[in-house]
Amino acid sequence: MAGSTTRNRLTLPQQYLFLQKSKTVAGEGVLGPRRLEWHFRAQPTPLSRTYQVTLVLERDGTPDVRVVDPDLRLLAGERDLPHIYHNPDRLCLYLPGTGQWDASKRLDLTIIPWTHLWLIYFEEWLVSDDWKGGGKHPGEDDPDEGNRALRRSLQRQR
Amino acid sequence: MNQIFSHPLTDTAIQRRAQVFTILEEICQELEWTQTQFEKARTSYEAVADWLAGSSDPMLASLHVYLHGSGALGTSIKPIGRDEFDVDLISFILDLGPEIAPARLKAAIGERLREHAYYASILEEKKRCWRLNYAGDFHLDISPTISNPNCMNGGELVPDRKLRDWHATNPRAYRALFDERAALVPRMTQSIIASQRDAATTEPFPVRQSVKGILRRTVQLLKRHRDLEFLHVQGEIAPISIIITTLAMRSYEMCVRRHVFADELQVLIDTIRLMPIFIERPLVNGRQIYAVWNETTNGENFAERWNEEPARVEAFYKWHSKALADFEALRDLVGLDAIVGSMKDSLGDKLVARTMNRRMDALNEGRKTGALVLGAGVGLTTQKMAASTPVPKNEFFGD
Repeated sequence: MAGSTTRNRLTLPQQYLFLQKSKTVAGEGVLGPRRLEWHFRAQPTPLSRTYQVTLVLERDGTPDVRVVDPDLRLLAGERDLPHIYHNPDRLCLYLPGTGQWDASKRLDLTIIPWTHLWLIYFEEWLVSDDWKGGGKHPGEDDPDEGNRALRRSLQRQR
Repeated sequence: MNQIFSHPLTDTAIQRRAQVFTILEEICQELEWTQTQFEKARTSYEAVADWLAGSSDPMLASLHVYLHGSGALGTSIKPIGRDEFDVDLISFILDLGPEIAPARLKAAIGERLREHAYYASILEEKKRCWRLNYAGDFHLDISPTISNPNCMNGGELVPDRKLRDWHATNPRAYRALFDERAALVPRMTQSIIASQRDAATTEPFPVRQSVKGILRRTVQLLKRHRDLEFLHVQGEIAPISIIITTLAMRSYEMCVRRHVFADELQVLIDTIRLMPIFIERPLVNGRQIYAVWNETTNGENFAERWNEEPARVEAFYKWHSKALADFEALRDLVGLDAIVGSMKDSLGDKLVARTMNRRMDALNEGRKTGALVLGAGVGLTTQKMAASTPVPKNEFFGD
């Protein structure tokens, strides 16, 4: 499954161009030869805060999404943040190895909407203590065939 | 500059406030009777009306039963912790004059109800009325009235609390006045351009539509706020619903006739703010009393008991300032967690949680069906938008 991604792989300049042209979310970024950095403001609904988010994609890598401001840990208080990769904190927006995201997928059509989605569940979680967005935690995956790919991707993520 | 230029027409505050009002609206819907409950109550009270009208007692010959109170006004709310509604009925005897003793008329109605085996089994006598308890669903309170020969406005007389005398009232004219005011539509600021309005009225996850109007919602929210505020207060000092309703409808009328508003939420807040203006302090027998008049008849002071029990006066003003502050805070808070947290504090944890769960269910449904989009300037929504990106399916991962 993971191998199929090489076929329609988007280059960093292509991703950068799509982000710049997005009509739904404005942002600005830096494009280097091996690394794309994109800064945008996400307000998932008009009731929500506006979050300053940084998205980084390195060549042959997977997208890293960090909320720069406000501080999610400060908002969560004593609680552990849900659906986060640690050190540093990054949002876990899709299940690796399933093709939900791969290098053929545009960031502006996947990672950016998912960031908004993550943030809406996050704000609701802050007040209800119940993550209503579903998803999987490492270790609770069922031993099916997609699992090898998942484990492989996981090793890359961590 | 670039960012401002790319979203010149949206104003997050306008949208935020519109959505806060929508959540309040949904909370009210959560507080109301379901259609099933409503039908059940109607069938029951129509049957009771028929039964009373069929009495062979000549005293009850010209009897007519009608709905009054919050059920008639469209402002009913579920009591906290119970699922039972109050349904208030008037049994009006057209041909009887004030010479009849209130206790006698009340007894005659009680006797007629006891002639019915089922009614007899669920009948409970209250001070001024009869109650039929339909356990788990609702209770019907039946108050006897007669016509008021001194009222030019078609008013009625109801037994006083001690059942000794007749007391002016006018439920039918009150309802007509309330309906007339509730039908007033506030003028909204013209400075909001059309496209902003579209954005402001884009609902993230529309659940149910409502045609109730702001006045009825204001009354429901205030009653709920009152119920919660006085839940653990000793003694009966909470502001009674008829006072809240009367002050709100007068204030709403004044606000709507005189002012132009930014949005619905501002109408709600200004209506609450100006309510105390309609508490009058007339001099009666050399004493300055409190009065909240029934405008539809002479001599019915809804705040009568404030003059015997000053604790009620203090309770009203304290509650009113708190309610005003709480709704003003909602207007200005940012962050779903902050807004919902504040609603939970002032309107009840479970009620607000139920309302929010419906919204989150609608969001998840939109994710599943593919209807969810990320719209320019409005965020995530299941409503169709021109500039938008569909949200593809994903599963969150990680710890």
